[in-house]
Amino acid sequence: MINKGFAKHYYLMLLPGMIWLTLFSIVPMFGIVMAFQDYNPGLGILHSEWVGLENFKYMFSLNDSVTILVNTLVIAVLKIVGNLIIPLVFALLLNELRLRYLKRWIQTIVYLPHFLSWVILSGILLDIFGYTGPVNQILSVFHIKPVLFFGRADLFPALIVGSDVWKEFGFNTIIYLAALTGINPALYEAAAIDGATRFKRMLHVTLPGIVSAIVLLSVLSLGNVLNAGFEQIFNLYNPLVYSSGDIIDTWVYRTGLVNLQFSLATAMGLLKSVVSFLMITISYYLAYRFANYRIF
Amino acid sequence: MVKDNTAGSRLFDIALIVILVGIAILCILPIWYTLAVSLSNNAAASSGRVGLWPVGFNLGSYQELMGDRKFFNSFWISVQRVILGSGLNFVVILLMAYPLSKNAKELPYRNVLMWILVFTMLFNGGLIPWYMTVKSLGLINNIWALVLGNSVPVFSVILVINFFRNLPKELEEAALVDGAGPWRMMIQIFVPLAGPVIATVTLFSIVYHWNEFFNGLVLMSAADHYPLQTYIQQMVVVIDANTMTAEQIQRMSELSNRTLNAAKIFIAMIPVLVIYPFLQRFFITGITLGSVKE
Amino acid sequence: MYTRYVKDNLNIDTKIIWQAGVGKDYQQKVNLAIASNDLPDALVVTDTQLRQMVKSNQLADLSEVYEQYASPVLKKIIDSTDGLAMKSVTFDGKMYALPNVTAESDMQHIMWIRKDWLDKLGLKVPRNIDELEKVAKAFVEQDPDGNGKNDTIGISGPQSGGLLNADFINPNNNNYGFDPIFGAYHAYPGFWLKGADGNPTYGSIEPETKEALAKLRDLYAKGLIDPEMSIRKDAQELIKNGTSGIYFGLWWAGGYGPLADAIKNNPKANWQAYTLLDKNGEFTPHMGTPSNQYLVVRKGYKHPEAAIKMENLLLRDESKFDVSVGIGNYPLRIVFAPMDEMYVTYNAMKEVLAGTKKPEELDLPGYKLLKADAENIKKVKLEPYDKMDIQYWDPNADLGAWKRLYSTLVGIAPLMEPYKKTYSLTYSQTKTMESKLATLDKMEKETFLKIIMGAAPLDTFDQFVKDWRKQGGDDILKEVAEITQQ
Repeated sequence: MINKGFAKHYYLMLLPGMIWLTLFSIVPMFGIVMAFQDYNPGLGILHSEWVGLENFKYMFSLNDSVTILVNTLVIAVLKIVGNLIIPLVFALLLNELRLRYLKRWIQTIVYLPHFLSWVILSGILLDIFGYTGPVNQILSVFHIKPVLFFGRADLFPALIVGSDVWKEFGFNTIIYLAALTGINPALYEAAAIDGATRFKRMLHVTLPGIVSAIVLLSVLSLGNVLNAGFEQIFNLYNPLVYSSGDIIDTWVYRTGLVNLQFSLATAMGLLKSVVSFLMITISYYLAYRFANYRIF
Repeated sequence: MVKDNTAGSRLFDIALIVILVGIAILCILPIWYTLAVSLSNNAAASSGRVGLWPVGFNLGSYQELMGDRKFFNSFWISVQRVILGSGLNFVVILLMAYPLSKNAKELPYRNVLMWILVFTMLFNGGLIPWYMTVKSLGLINNIWALVLGNSVPVFSVILVINFFRNLPKELEEAALVDGAGPWRMMIQIFVPLAGPVIATVTLFSIVYHWNEFFNGLVLMSAADHYPLQTYIQQMVVVIDANTMTAEQIQRMSELSNRTLNAAKIFIAMIPVLVIYPFLQRFFITGITLGSVKE
Repeated sequence: MYTRYVKDNLNIDTKIIWQAGVGKDYQQKVNLAIASNDLPDALVVTDTQLRQMVKSNQLADLSEVYEQYASPVLKKIIDSTDGLAMKSVTFDGKMYALPNVTAESDMQHIMWIRKDWLDKLGLKVPRNIDELEKVAKAFVEQDPDGNGKNDTIGISGPQSGGLLNADFINPNNNNYGFDPIFGAYHAYPGFWLKGADGNPTYGSIEPETKEALAKLRDLYAKGLIDPEMSIRKDAQELIKNGTSGIYFGLWWAGGYGPLADAIKNNPKANWQAYTLLDKNGEFTPHMGTPSNQYLVVRKGYKHPEAAIKMENLLLRDESKFDVSVGIGNYPLRIVFAPMDEMYVTYNAMKEVLAGTKKPEELDLPGYKLLKADAENIKKVKLEPYDKMDIQYWDPNADLGAWKRLYSTLVGIAPLMEPYKKTYSLTYSQTKTMESKLATLDKMEKETFLKIIMGAAPLDTFDQFVKDWRKQGGDDILKEVAEITQQ
């Protein structure tokens, strides 16, 4: 039984949020035109010279624009995958833990690395993976010569993705854990009565129970497909790893430092937004077409 | 919870504890180290001599950060920001998520509104137009700039929408039979059931408002309006800067005070350590159980 | 308190709209203000920001105001730069900012070395590259810190984000780089020079740079340079904990730098400073520009002279202020030091120690800290006064004074001998640089670092030179030629 008469009330409920959204998100969006201008602060947005796609052409004309794009995609996608799977596995494992007290502690502790700034964490990582640090010490037990980890372009993406997943898995874990509480315990009992082992119960009760959360997080995280993590990479990279570590944001930052490139930064931002939007839209329609499931 | 008593199950339990505790230790080690650094003297910290235990134990950095009246002033501003900001977020998230969790038949243009939300989550005009907007609303230097600044937390709204949609339809139908209107439905039925997801998004709100420092820097002018994180991020120990240029000072201060930087982290963690355990009681299984009569 | 001082003295009401700050977040804030045209009446900006603001027509012309209101002391300091300071703020014949002036001694990069290690191993102070190599080798192999472990490093390199060499945009104050090594080969990467054919060229593509890179590559391969150079987070750490024996930097990278903590950890660490000489025994450093801070006034502000007056006041009276108040509390403060400030200070300190001058005689206008230095020197320096080794100092008597005076007497000493100066043809960017420099710079840093650390062969340098020219370098050189022909 669906009640259509409630629509008026629903709109009323939406009103405050929509006003807030309009003022602080939609109105500033008009600044996107800066991406198509040669922005001059003295003239402002209304009077700056229109240059069409110049800024974008400039970006793609640079020698290493392809490399930078590829680096950004590789690192961002690996992070998306890592940040979906690891928290899921961890949440499932944590869910199996019966000691309530320990569970709460662990839940809190794994969220804490999120609070370490990359400024501090980079120092720690560089020490851990340094020439005389613990990792190389362990390697020397196996007679492997010390590896200059953060100087190796081939290892850099793995280090970046790994350390980021470690730092942020607590976040998505919380979301999965919240979703796990929505599963009706009666379903577990029913499955147990039918003879399902612990593992089977997880596969057939737990996972399906949180499938909507998993799909939702996957799709939303696609919005980050071009965000490889400026703060982290900026604090950890060096010219030796530019070939695999220089991303769009670090490149824009260096260019912006030398010149205040307002229009360029806006253009890059626009590009990222467009790609993210396309990714999310495509996956939304794929889910709708093939699974008849509306993600949001 | 279903209890198995097979040997395999018990072995799994033990292995589980080992793995999970191991991961927890891995997470806490760098934090422990940072705590040790924050309690050491700077000469030792910057020479790399601090391990897991402070060297030259002293509370100097904390005194440095908290000894000023400005610290407490900024602390109070942050408390206000968190209360106002999280409070507003709580209300707006629920007010938006509930109607949007209905489908297009019940709420015309629902899909359009939904995509508008998603759109705003992804597209923005950048720092400059945003700043100009806030300025033209006359909110510079006002705490409401911080509360309203980053607009509606769309990600959280979507999470709650998803949660609401997964609640059994029987709930709504039972309430309708009892004559509940949309407001009563939302406030008395749906919200109480959404404990876990609300706890989640509230936690995110609180953490966000407590730690956000860039808006504080840009939207507030003088230090007496800075929220806490902005204030302490800007605190950099400058040593004998009499004839030094800004460049020299900057280079030297960026890294030279490790203990201070470490102490800053702990002040950032405070709300989580205090509030998260409190919010965890909402993460209980089976909250929906018992409310639906079959 | 300071604002009241200003009000009493000048009758100006200063409202601090912003707090001064450091760091990239603060710079973002300034950039945002520039971009949204939401400027305070007066503020301090960098060279890049200055050029942007001139381009956007946001600044007031200060030419007349400067002439009329700047105090004689201020003008004298600016004039002492032989026109370099004024050049950096003059666009189309008009003066758009008040430039700061820093001491010339911030330009020459020298070598700091553990003299106690030299003494222990019976070595002389190395003065050229070959001797440097031998000493670095001994530092690495012969356990100079006497702890039985093979943990000492010869030469420290830059930290992550640091520069191998100063460049024309940031020509001064590059600590932990390799500037003296490049200089000893007459290589000046990052600087615009007059080529052999009279046309401008860029130091990074010249053969001397290749030679210097070859040497650095060799030193690195032999393990004489910190293996984690450019990767490690903090170059100072090795100096503070007594692992490194040599680093390069400025005069102030001594006392003001890591040494205070270094001697806290080891009171016997005797760091001394020397110049690194070329094959003919000459010191040939690159030199920079004395200005890197610019006081600007927004166009339309009714009292531009107020900013100038405030600077006058600071210059005159700053030495009387309470030194424990952070300088961030002085709005609009930019550094004004006569170019020869440190040489004058050095000589004055020697005279005070020798007894031929008294502090009261040293209250010279423009040399704000001279008198205070004279009063402090005997607190922190022990007899015999002509020996500079660490055991003849007492840092604990007054650490702040020690930092400054140790840096002066040890760090400035090597600069008192005559030497050959090499300047860049320009310290500002041309039009093409704005679009191409970032890419060229990235290419350069990548190539050089890979060559030095062995990740690429030395001959990739030749390809780099070709690419550099092709991807905008030649166009830039043409522009540099145009501006230097004027």
